[in-house]
Amino acid sequence: MAANFWTSSHYKQLVEQDKIDVVHPIDKERGLTLEEFKLIKIHMTNHIWRLAQHVKVRQRVIATAVTYFRRVYTRKSLTEYDPRLVTPTCLYLASKAEESTVQARLLVFYIKKMCSDEKYRCEIKDILEMEMKLLEALDYYLVVFHPYRPLLQLLQDAGMTDLTHISWGLVNDTYKMDLILIHPPYMIALACIYIASVLKDKETTAWFEELRVDMNVVKNIAIEILDFYDFYRVEAFKGMAESFKGISDEKINAALHKLTPKP
Amino acid sequence: MTGSFSAVEEDPSQSKLVADRYLKRELLGEGTYGVVFKAIDTKSGKTVAIKRIRLGKHKEGVNFTALREIKLLKELKDPNIIELIDAFPYKGNLHLVFEFMESDLEAVIRDRNIVLSPGDIKSYLQMTLKGLAYCHKKWVLHRDMKPNNLLIAADGQLKLADFGLARIFGSPDRRFTHQVFARWYRAPELLFGTKQYGPGVDVWAAGCIFAELLLRRPFLQGSSDIDQLGKIFAAFGTPKPFQWPEMVYLPDYVEYQYVSPPSLRSLFPMASDDALDLISKMFTYDPKARISTQQALEHRYFSSIPAPTKPALLPRPPPKGESLNEKPLDLNLECGPVVLSPPRKLRRVTVNHVGFEGDTHNNTVRGDVNDKAPRGVAESGLSGLMPMSIDLEAVFGYTAAPRPKLNSVDRSHLKRKLDLEPEFK
Repeated sequence: MAANFWTSSHYKQLVEQDKIDVVHPIDKERGLTLEEFKLIKIHMTNHIWRLAQHVKVRQRVIATAVTYFRRVYTRKSLTEYDPRLVTPTCLYLASKAEESTVQARLLVFYIKKMCSDEKYRCEIKDILEMEMKLLEALDYYLVVFHPYRPLLQLLQDAGMTDLTHISWGLVNDTYKMDLILIHPPYMIALACIYIASVLKDKETTAWFEELRVDMNVVKNIAIEILDFYDFYRVEAFKGMAESFKGISDEKINAALHKLTPKP
Repeated sequence: MTGSFSAVEEDPSQSKLVADRYLKRELLGEGTYGVVFKAIDTKSGKTVAIKRIRLGKHKEGVNFTALREIKLLKELKDPNIIELIDAFPYKGNLHLVFEFMESDLEAVIRDRNIVLSPGDIKSYLQMTLKGLAYCHKKWVLHRDMKPNNLLIAADGQLKLADFGLARIFGSPDRRFTHQVFARWYRAPELLFGTKQYGPGVDVWAAGCIFAELLLRRPFLQGSSDIDQLGKIFAAFGTPKPFQWPEMVYLPDYVEYQYVSPPSLRSLFPMASDDALDLISKMFTYDPKARISTQQALEHRYFSSIPAPTKPALLPRPPPKGESLNEKPLDLNLECGPVVLSPPRKLRRVTVNHVGFEGDTHNNTVRGDVNDKAPRGVAESGLSGLMPMSIDLEAVFGYTAAPRPKLNSVDRSHLKRKLDLEPEFK
């Protein structure tokens, strides 16, 4: 797959950060701030991740689902597309697109089990209706590339396979940001390798030079990732799965509440 | 069908726009996963084919096969691959809009009124391989190559269609189902049950299509998987381990009695040496040694004479449901200056051609086409008009066995393997 990224729809759809950091006019009208918008996306990414662990799908499927989720909200409002329904539907659609179908009824079942908040619950027919709307919102582009495979190949090439674990975790965390919509996946992989190598005091200058990639871009992505960890006051690199306890449920609920149509 | 609205029921004169854009016309048929109807795209003025996708049974949303086709066709844009123009939901069903295709290669091969010159065959094969090479470059396996999935556009271009079984073969260790392709087009490694395979399976099927163009009948018509292998071995000899070392380790490997291959020449008496050489390379047993689509396109068969006939000049059956008079009159304008020999000679060729056919019903059709655009005649000279092989059906009253599609066992197996749709409760 890596061989044809440059001719893919994914490549053609890459956008600039400032196109993503825009609160949809409808959401803005309801008082949603950019920070809240970002918080909701992080929260919902975690929601997808948790749900996926229940239904047991490959990480690739989760990554695709999150990419769909983030792409949808570069075009649609949170008000019209309730993220609490969009998240399971993204996972449902991604599982089909990645050839490892998860039945909608399983998702419905596990959401009920997982979430005490009734607003997260949905029925099969809701997911199926949303599936059609999502396809349209995504303009039917379903093939997504991820940093995982280039990561493994690059680590192999660099002879640094001992960094696999930590850099893989870093890649997983990048899905809490919008990097996958902005940069080619192998650049994200390189940034994660760069961070991991600095952290573990590995000398990589010569190897990076040989690659002939724009090191400024790699470093900028790396800084963005570090800023992100910093911003949410997370103890980076220690227990990454637990990283996002920092966002309180109240904060998320308050943000989501703004979007609920007033009676 | 339980759908509340159906293309047949609707009066075309109502001319209601579907999705504010498409003017619905007659029903064309039942596709793999729903009905197909003809329509006019008011945005472009072009004729299109719209597939209405049945919603999956058992509440499983958009049909999995359809979704796979959408996913891949959105990435594949090539002159030799069917174009997915648009997709939209309408009345709760997903609709896919494709460019309208007049005919398919199976109709060409079956039409006894059509003579395929060596240049014509070369052209059809070249377009098939070009489409495939593009897929393979994009890491997509078609997995259902057969003449009736090769559609022919109004301008003569052949296009790969039906990507419902296709998939991306990016991950090196991914295991796939071997229950793909209609049996007659299945490569030996699939028949031996391999789960790890590559673009070679499409090349084998393309080889079968090449042979079918030459013979004008399906080449290896096995009645079961075991029989299919028997037919393959009868044609090319039972493979020996040195030819294909991995064979004996394949899951469903069974030993066949050794038969030595007849000469290729005896199978394809009218084919050129270059054609035979390419055939032998496309039918190489060891998938790793089999020629790739790109190498096949660079084979000297395609650079030696006769040149491949230009698509617009290829013979093809009259479009379905249309009278011949409606054929565009500016055919010769589109085709450009192809006459390279004096008109006198051309006329003689035309007469000969009709005489050879010995079928007066045809004269209007052929004459018509020949007058306006002498298809490849001038390019390849007289020899271009000779058929590659005898039409068995016409000469011996031979009738081909019905073309097998995926049978019901295959289908349910496939459903389970690919769709994971709970077909049986």
